[in-house]
Amino acid sequence: MWAIIKKEVKSYFLTPIGYVFIGLFLAMCSVFFYLDVIQYGSVQFEYMYYSAATILTFIIPILTMRMFAEERKNGTEQLLFTSPRSITSIVFGKFLSAAFVMLIAELFTLVYLAILFYFGTPHIQTVLTTILGFFMLSLAYISFGMFASSITENQIIAGVVTIGFFIITWFLPNFSTELTSFSLINMFNKFPSGLIALEEIAMYLTFTALFIILTIIVLQRKKSIK
Amino acid sequence: MIEVKNVTKKYGSFVAVDNISFDIKEGEIVGFLGPNGAGKSTTMNMITGFIEPTEGTILVNGYDIQKKARKAKKEIGYMPEGVPLYNDLTVKEFISYMADLKLVKRKEKKQVIENVMEDTNLIDVQNKLIKNLSRGYKQRVSMAGALVGNPKVLILDEPTVGLDPKQITEIRNLIKSLGKKHTVILSSHILSEVSQICEKVIIINSGKIVAIDTPENLENNTKKENIITVTVEDLENKIEEAIKPIEGIEEMKLQKDNEDGTKQYSIKTKADIDIRKNIFENFAKEGITIFELKKSEATLEDAFMNLVKNEEKGGEE
Repeated sequence: MWAIIKKEVKSYFLTPIGYVFIGLFLAMCSVFFYLDVIQYGSVQFEYMYYSAATILTFIIPILTMRMFAEERKNGTEQLLFTSPRSITSIVFGKFLSAAFVMLIAELFTLVYLAILFYFGTPHIQTVLTTILGFFMLSLAYISFGMFASSITENQIIAGVVTIGFFIITWFLPNFSTELTSFSLINMFNKFPSGLIALEEIAMYLTFTALFIILTIIVLQRKKSIK
Repeated sequence: MIEVKNVTKKYGSFVAVDNISFDIKEGEIVGFLGPNGAGKSTTMNMITGFIEPTEGTILVNGYDIQKKARKAKKEIGYMPEGVPLYNDLTVKEFISYMADLKLVKRKEKKQVIENVMEDTNLIDVQNKLIKNLSRGYKQRVSMAGALVGNPKVLILDEPTVGLDPKQITEIRNLIKSLGKKHTVILSSHILSEVSQICEKVIIINSGKIVAIDTPENLENNTKKENIITVTVEDLENKIEEAIKPIEGIEEMKLQKDNEDGTKQYSIKTKADIDIRKNIFENFAKEGITIFELKKSEATLEDAFMNLVKNEEKGGEE
């Protein structure tokens, strides 16, 4: 699995993808930092993350859409799946490397926190739960993006399916309040209040596990129908 | 080394590979021969474990490719059709990644990579990005990827497609030298290539095995038909008369009416007789000038065409 993580992370930064993702994320964060924090003269770092969560819908596919679609299109999946590595370790390797790039992007936002610490005293507990919640949300998003990439050889389709799915879950509460707890982005809103929302964490992890398993099943199944 | 037992692959109702079985022994160089779409790549993909057969089992070095996948796959080096590569990596990075994928031990890795690059002549380009390499080099990089980890079996899917004649010769020589240390399976639709490199040929058509034999045997078996080609200048149209007295002729056909007034005929005779001497004598008597007289040798190409044609006829009946 390490071999795959090493290569995948390297690939993100050998191609512009890693830089574009982190750059875009930080650029949007800067905008929100100015609009939601600086303009109000507050030290509430988490406000920036409220808005950043919406942007995640559109930038996660940058990380995930190529994962398996590109390998299938180029035929390199033949090298991957005929190696002695198991499908499970390949899927986990790819998932963790995308998660790693996401983590790097998130750590960069600590610069904004440092600025706030210079001018005031932000509430450290809410900051930590926000960062945790945001990372959980991105893990869930990455797992779905990876799944979408495993079902097609067209990266664009993988990306569009991913964005479409996120938008649908985003607006679920508008259809029925009972669906609120299935809206990934709504679940995130509990974290910036400083709570370690166990129920939400469990939901995120379940969702992530579900789509990792589905990806493995899809790839396994492709062996017999390909 | 490789045992393929009653393997069938279906896509819906389409049967791509139909109940094939064969054994490949250690150290053999085996060629898969067949027209496009015959099931060569499908069969290779099943041996490498990339796709699963609908029915049947495949053993590589005694390990079932589905049940003992890790152990079986460790013994295989695969060069897929169309040489897919990670274009953003350098040659060395790619080989190093393949070494990782193939569970090469960390201590040995550096040496393994060096050796493979030496074997495939890639030292000079090791730090170049793969996307900037020419087709011939890409082919060698792909070969290096297959070789890394010293697998017992090498499976090469159309290894010489898209190369210039010089590169083709290089790759063929490389394959021959690899055959000394590895069991090699290669697929091709270039017949001369297979007859040059391989000790054993498996001819496959519409998903079925039509023949398994050495290239020599296949050629010999096809020689049943004895055909003589003769080009003559026959101003008085006496050729019919001239061949009448010769025994054993089954059929004579006009092949070509050349512009310079000569005509080319093909004469089919019974097997095991040579009538060239009689032709020479009789034609001279009748005043026919012979420009060319040649007995056709059966080639692997003929063997192949025959087998494939017979198969198609059989299918229609």
